[in-house]
Amino acid sequence: MGVTCVSQMPVTEGKSVQQTVEILTRKLELLGAEKQGTFGVDCETYHTAPSTMGNQGQAAKLMYVMHNSEYPLSCFALFENGPCLIADANFDVLMVKLKGFFQNAKGNKIESRGTRYQYCDFLVKIGTVTMGPSARGISVEVEYCPCVIASDCWNLLMEFMQSFMGSHTPGIPSVFSNKHDSIYSPADTMVQYMELFNKIRKQQQVPVAGIR
Amino acid sequence: MAEGVLSAGINLEAFAQAIAAIQALRSSVTRVFDCLKDGKRNKETLEGREKGFVSSFQESLHSVSRDLGELERLSNLVGKPSENHPLHNSGLLSLDPVQDKTPLYSQLLQAYKWSNKLQYHAGLASGLLNQQSLKRSANQMGMSAKRRPKAQPTTLVLPPQYVDDVISRIDRMFPEMSIHLSRPNGTSAMLMVTLGKVLKVIVVMRSLFIDRTIVKGYHENVYTEEGKLDIWSKSNYQVFQKVTDHATTALLHYQLPQMPDVVVRSFMTWLRSYIKLFQAPCQRCGKFLQDGLPPTWRDFRTLEAFHDTCRQ
Repeated sequence: MGVTCVSQMPVTEGKSVQQTVEILTRKLELLGAEKQGTFGVDCETYHTAPSTMGNQGQAAKLMYVMHNSEYPLSCFALFENGPCLIADANFDVLMVKLKGFFQNAKGNKIESRGTRYQYCDFLVKIGTVTMGPSARGISVEVEYCPCVIASDCWNLLMEFMQSFMGSHTPGIPSVFSNKHDSIYSPADTMVQYMELFNKIRKQQQVPVAGIR
Repeated sequence: MAEGVLSAGINLEAFAQAIAAIQALRSSVTRVFDCLKDGKRNKETLEGREKGFVSSFQESLHSVSRDLGELERLSNLVGKPSENHPLHNSGLLSLDPVQDKTPLYSQLLQAYKWSNKLQYHAGLASGLLNQQSLKRSANQMGMSAKRRPKAQPTTLVLPPQYVDDVISRIDRMFPEMSIHLSRPNGTSAMLMVTLGKVLKVIVVMRSLFIDRTIVKGYHENVYTEEGKLDIWSKSNYQVFQKVTDHATTALLHYQLPQMPDVVVRSFMTWLRSYIKLFQAPCQRCGKFLQDGLPPTWRDFRTLEAFHDTCRQ
């Protein structure tokens, strides 16, 4: 468990998602990174049910239930800007029982799957973000395992990302700035994935609406 | 080798004669007993019988003593076979006809060769090592083995209380560094040094000498399953394995046998510069990473950060 940065890699113009992923992985392999199996992160959206809203005029809150293959025994439940709960994997069963309070937004499931690479003490996961049957984008997760303080190793992490992402290297993630000197946790990674998924959903909203 | 073959040839001849002599001796002894068994029969007169018996008995006894004398003479010629073999009695193993089932002799020869070679190489190694002495005691090379034990006790036998004092003073000197001292195995102290939220160092001391250090990540486990400090396993991360190597180099660099407390303090001061392990770029190439590793080397005097290959 180290400091992790999750970002989006734009699809190269004139290329498909698959081709862009291939270009990226070839760059990594040239760098000396070794393939180490696959990974997957998924996210399901839940609405708070109207019956529980009361009459205070609250806006409907969204809750996200996520899984990460790096932590196969855990399940993460997050509110936007809110707390993050880390529970055992059978939390999903509990969510079915809470149907009266949280309703699953069907067809809103979004996930990222791809290959896991190791280079020295870095872990790199390049994934294709899919929503339903269609590929929507590319996620790049870079983890520097030996370090636990985000601000300590950000410059180092950025230098590494520049070596294979070039001009698409992301800026400092917002979770980093809130951490100060506290220890980075897996929940921070999940928050970054949630933000990335939300960004990708919004990007796709316009064309999807157009089709309808 | 040729000599051995030759002497074996002589021996073989003597052996053949000796075996013939033994056969002769046995037959003459048999004749003595035959004669005794037959007694005085086959003779007509009592006197003739008695006379004949005594003379034949005498004759056979003579032949026994003659044959015995001959055998003794031959046995001197043969000598002791085991003495002639270079491997003494173990050489007899080579006479074992069932080589396939018990290849003892060939194994023995191999072991002998191996131990000869080992002795030779050990001799060479000790010669070389004596030239490149890395001893951290007051006596450097050229000192005789007799004199060495005299000087050692002065710096090696220090009261544990003194060691505790030195360590706690260092602990107070560096606020970002916490040192936890324990003595799980007798009087030798073990230190668990936690440097900020960057790394942990296990330091094994012998009196005030540092014997061994292992650097691990801040979130890595430093205890064994039994809850003891794990002084053997290395870090899972390449960066800390590299820092461990450099820390071991530092142990050999900082040596001042007359003032061991200064050595420990200098080492800890050097170690403290790793608080910026992930934050400091290399002072030579200006980059953070080289081959996936941050600048892991810290100069012994200036404490500046360098990549392992960028340092001079």
